[in-house]
Amino acid sequence: MSHPINRGFDRRQFLKNASLTLAGTALPITMVELAFAKSSDSFNFAYISDSHIQQIKGNSFVRNWDRGLLRAVAETNLLAPRPDFIIFGGDLAQMGSKPELDHGAELLSKLNGKVYHVMGEHDYYLDLGEYWSKLFGKQYYSFDHKGVHFVVLNSILTYDDWTFNRWPTAQQRMAEMAGLDNPNGSPFMVGDKQRDWLKKDLAKVKKDTPVIVFSHSPLQKIYKGWNFWTEDAEAVQALLAPFDKVTVFYGHVHQIQYNQIGNIAFTSAMATAWPWPYPQAYAQAQQLLPKLTVQMNRADPFFERDATGWQCIDIATGRASVNFNLYNNATRTVAYDAQAGHPKDVGYQLDEKRIPPQIHY
Amino acid sequence: MKLFRTSCAATVLLLASTGPMADEFTNNDLERWDGQFQAVVKEGRGLWTSPDMGKNGVVCAQCHPNAANTHPETYPKFQKQLGKVANLWEMVNWCLRNPLEGDPMKADDPRMTAMLAYMAWERRGVKLEPGKH
Amino acid sequence: MAPPIHTMLAAACIGFAAPAAVHAQPLGLPPLHIPADNPQTPDKIKLGDKLFNDKRFSSTGLISCATCHDPNKAFTDSPLVTSKGIKDLTGTRNAPTVVNAAYFSLFFWDGRSPTIEDQAQHPIINPVEMGLSNHDPVLQIVRIDPEYVNAFRTVFKTEPAQVTMKEVQKAIASFERTIISGDSPFDRWYFGKDKTAINAQAQRGFDVFLNKGRCVSCHVIENDQALFTDNRFHNIGVGINRIQNEVQDFAPKFLQAKGSGVDVDKAVLSNPKASELGRFAVTDSLDELGSFKTSTLRNVSVTAPFMHDGSLKTLRDVVEHYNNGGITNKTDKVNDFLSGGIRPLNLTEEEMSDLVAFLETLTSPQFAAQRAAMGTAPACNVKTPASLVAAAAARTVEHSPIKTAGQP
Repeated sequence: MSHPINRGFDRRQFLKNASLTLAGTALPITMVELAFAKSSDSFNFAYISDSHIQQIKGNSFVRNWDRGLLRAVAETNLLAPRPDFIIFGGDLAQMGSKPELDHGAELLSKLNGKVYHVMGEHDYYLDLGEYWSKLFGKQYYSFDHKGVHFVVLNSILTYDDWTFNRWPTAQQRMAEMAGLDNPNGSPFMVGDKQRDWLKKDLAKVKKDTPVIVFSHSPLQKIYKGWNFWTEDAEAVQALLAPFDKVTVFYGHVHQIQYNQIGNIAFTSAMATAWPWPYPQAYAQAQQLLPKLTVQMNRADPFFERDATGWQCIDIATGRASVNFNLYNNATRTVAYDAQAGHPKDVGYQLDEKRIPPQIHY
Repeated sequence: MKLFRTSCAATVLLLASTGPMADEFTNNDLERWDGQFQAVVKEGRGLWTSPDMGKNGVVCAQCHPNAANTHPETYPKFQKQLGKVANLWEMVNWCLRNPLEGDPMKADDPRMTAMLAYMAWERRGVKLEPGKH
Repeated sequence: MAPPIHTMLAAACIGFAAPAAVHAQPLGLPPLHIPADNPQTPDKIKLGDKLFNDKRFSSTGLISCATCHDPNKAFTDSPLVTSKGIKDLTGTRNAPTVVNAAYFSLFFWDGRSPTIEDQAQHPIINPVEMGLSNHDPVLQIVRIDPEYVNAFRTVFKTEPAQVTMKEVQKAIASFERTIISGDSPFDRWYFGKDKTAINAQAQRGFDVFLNKGRCVSCHVIENDQALFTDNRFHNIGVGINRIQNEVQDFAPKFLQAKGSGVDVDKAVLSNPKASELGRFAVTDSLDELGSFKTSTLRNVSVTAPFMHDGSLKTLRDVVEHYNNGGITNKTDKVNDFLSGGIRPLNLTEEEMSDLVAFLETLTSPQFAAQRAAMGTAPACNVKTPASLVAAAAARTVEHSPIKTAGQP
């Protein structure tokens, strides 16, 4: 599908005017659309993340999280024309167990289209990704698609000592990492080995080729207490510095965040499972929520899907324009603003445009 | 003739010798009581991460890490999910029944007290704003 | 009390409208917002009443607003499942009551109309409702009929040639804004603090409503008033289940048809599949697939059958549907787009009966007599056997839609 993409382009209006498609504003996933000078290079893809399929006992799973993923898959399948592929952003399972990964994989199997996977800590710390890899393949890799270089990192590793020596059983290790606010946790990182690999991988890429990185952890340092954190963020960012157009998509935070550091535009994905508070809501700690971020609307916990979500992303000239879908709330669009040099929410960035549900405290 | 000294100071000395009075407490008392409070806070933290609070294994900490977004400083307030102005403990029960698919607790259940203590402790220092949504 | 509605029932609607400004706020209702550009006046209300009942605004001369919104049936056409317009043509939707409709923010089951003024024009030109091709016949009548000429002149200071549908709609809206009712036994018990106004069973039912039944989040009650609606749209698994296997094919086709000019108002009433798309058909938002407006629960005891397609016959059927977690029969598949607020409730038989008893207490005094007289109507707390439910559902799908140009 080719069409002119303007800054501040309103997708809903477009749908009304052009041949109607279901790539619309209300997707339960992250839709990424890349448009370049040559219309033949335009394509889009979907981004679902953080499903946290959680086993209760035997064949019964937490219904709430199941329905979140189920719905994301159902809506992705309604997209017409079909997205080129779908990325699943990590934390498919809650405790990394085989039943959870199997059940999650079964729900994802209903997706029509090729799916790429990103590792999340909830998938990893039971068996260090062994079963996950059997299901989904490599834990970090890259691929090229229509002129864009995609990199997928396993950015939820941590110090060897914590991983191999600290805990008597694998189950306990997983349980300790599973608690977001657990003081026994350990900071995420990409790690030396992977950074070496990344350096070699990027050496083959031209500086003007757009680079898109998928990572579970933010590749920034936002709030250590909740592991909204990547310990070697600066080192990874330095590897990406030489490129003209870099976009990092990350999961893990279960909320809308976006930021610009140097040449890198960062945007988070929402969870299909449940929303998390913004770090500023924790009175006892300092954190650095990206200043640009206009926060998502607060959740009404009665509606299990409220403040869970998906995104629909357009990219023009290698930059991202992200439509966040919020159930029963207005769609949010965060677009890279070439003049400002960073992502901006097209509706709410100005202080006077904020609405009460966006005020978190 | 013996004179009974009835000065205030003498009276006080007399009284002091019969043991501590109602409004007196020492640093030791304060320490001990604070210890008891902190023990209950700790118990509350344990419940906060316990899969036994509900029936589906979901724990409070999953949506409320460090009790964030529970806003104890805003209660009582109008609570949409309850259809009325309500207290924090009533909303705790709503969460136990709904996302955790479990059973509610009585307002003075020691476990409820522990959870309320934990929430308040994590929110300490934040000024009261009753009624705030 | 004594709102105009009281006298409507007695006096066949014409000429007895009480001045709206005089009647007291019904217990349990908030003040009604009246837009600045359409203030209430006794003459305007009277005019609106006349327009509401005028059968000449249909292609056969037999259908008025009041045909489907009958003042003697709590402004519905109960017990019809879906409404019948000209030539007995049926649409896909159950006629919602006008009573307390003025409190809604959006109109029709899918919210496709933004104001109560706007809503009035659509049924007139819908092929299965009043069947006119355009509004000209209406304007001809109101510009020529002397009673109307005088009335419009009095109310709007317009000469006949100046009368447009805008004035017609404003008058109808004004009339509809007087059709409000509160002061039910529930209101007297909850807001009026009359401890005996509802019985023990209904009180237990209220507890279910607030807690285990989870009703209050959408059917809103607040500290000093209760609208019983959140004015939002939710997929609760009614109707959509019939087309859930086809949604993947049908939804894109519908959007294409819409893009090439198909009128949503006509499509949703004549095409049962389009009807089940709910608010999605209006907003194109996947988020709203199969979602319909939360109805008020006031007077539900006299507005059966229930839901946008009239598919649930009794209040007990409704409660069972919610108890099952958004499916009418326990063996149905839950649709993928179900609202996050719907889940299985695990209510006991007794709790369900109690809840129904509570719902019966939401009947305002104006309709109490009607409720009592419902000798032949199905009792509220009776569950319709599964076989009859399936048969009714099949009937709703089977009716022959009128063929109009551009229909998907």
